Amino acid sequence: MSVSTPEIWRNGLWDNNPGLVQLLGLCPLLAVSNTTVNGLGLGLATMAVLVISSAAVSLLRSALRPEIRIPAFVLVIATTVTVVDLSLQAWLHDLSRVLGIFVPLIVTNCTILARAEAFASRQPLAAAVHDGLAQGAGFAAVLIILGAGRELVGHGTILADLDLLLGDRFAGFSVQVLPFDSGLLIALLPPGAFIGLGLMVAVRQYLVQRPQEHPRIAQNQKEPVS
Amino acid sequence: MTTAGMPLRSVVTLTIIGLLAAVILAGMNHVTGERIEHKQQTRALAAIAEMLPADSYDNELLDDRIEVDIDGFDRPARVYRARLSGEPVAMVVDLTTPRGYSGDIRLLVAVDVAGTVMGVQVLEHRETPGLGDRIEPRRTDWLKQFVGRSLADPEPEGWAPDRRGGEFDTLTSATITVAAIVEAVKRALQAVELNESEPFTHKASTDTLSQ
Repeated sequence: MSVSTPEIWRNGLWDNNPGLVQLLGLCPLLAVSNTTVNGLGLGLATMAVLVISSAAVSLLRSALRPEIRIPAFVLVIATTVTVVDLSLQAWLHDLSRVLGIFVPLIVTNCTILARAEAFASRQPLAAAVHDGLAQGAGFAAVLIILGAGRELVGHGTILADLDLLLGDRFAGFSVQVLPFDSGLLIALLPPGAFIGLGLMVAVRQYLVQRPQEHPRIAQNQKEPVS
Repeated sequence: MTTAGMPLRSVVTLTIIGLLAAVILAGMNHVTGERIEHKQQTRALAAIAEMLPADSYDNELLDDRIEVDIDGFDRPARVYRARLSGEPVAMVVDLTTPRGYSGDIRLLVAVDVAGTVMGVQVLEHRETPGLGDRIEPRRTDWLKQFVGRSLADPEPEGWAPDRRGGEFDTLTSATITVAAIVEAVKRALQAVELNESEPFTHKASTDTLSQ
């Protein structure tokens, strides 16, 4: 089974997006997406974990017998997450305080185990790395868009606290898009995360189903997807 | 391939992966450990510098500390003692109240030798964005109202948010957060009062020994 690179990317970003289609890793996705910068930070951290763990799993795949593959994947993923967590604490200390418990919790993000099992353990290194990048980018994109939307409705800003990610040079970089100080509070609270993600899934479904209004194609698509 | 060979090979594989993971993690810990500790110390000292001018004391503040248990709080408070030429000038109490709206709030409270609050800093909290997080100095001046207060000002029953009959301003829709911090500052003052004479003299004597 070989998959072309464009196909891997289309899968990660749209056709099989971990956040919008597989609906995996929702705990960190919903909890940390209250600002653009938080979304970007956790998105990049998750992407880094996915790429490293996919690469490691792909390299180990010939040595792994089926009965020990899951413990081995878990070991690889836990190690990767710890390495990323320690790096964040050492080099992006302020951001790691904001992301808090959600960086160690990347280990429980099912996306990563799912990609190790479904893709990286059956594919050569290059494809596995591409898949990690693509799935990570898809997850990060959902986090960033959701974070930006919630920040915009809740605070009226975009990119507040960018200095946490990029250093003090960017302090005060925040863009006040809407002219109010405190907006719709619900956007920042947990319900806002669910509503926002729901809207994003709905928009995606609308875009996917729109061209299928042609009766013949619509009939073909009646088959359940998974 | 024998039937016994399969599990053995799996055991060896898993063991090797486990060992590899251990080596990587130990190496990573070695590389980042010092840096992480340094960052944490810098942050604590930066928060302290907001309340105590750096030239007002000359001891190694972070090394000069005692732990004080506080009733009802899960973690003991740490009391750091600032001194200038051996003379006590202030104490900084690092305490964590479990009574925030969404869990722990970690505070630094600086108290001078007369038992008056010099400043309060919030180190960590998970209060609601837009409501409870207005305790942060970058959002409002709310924490400033503690400066100059002491256990006698106001009287003990006044140590509560004004919405509950006390003397401290309440942030609208964040009464629980406010009450937790007011109580924690009061507890910090009590911890200092109880331990004021003892830890200072105790440390002074060890200072003499080391000179």
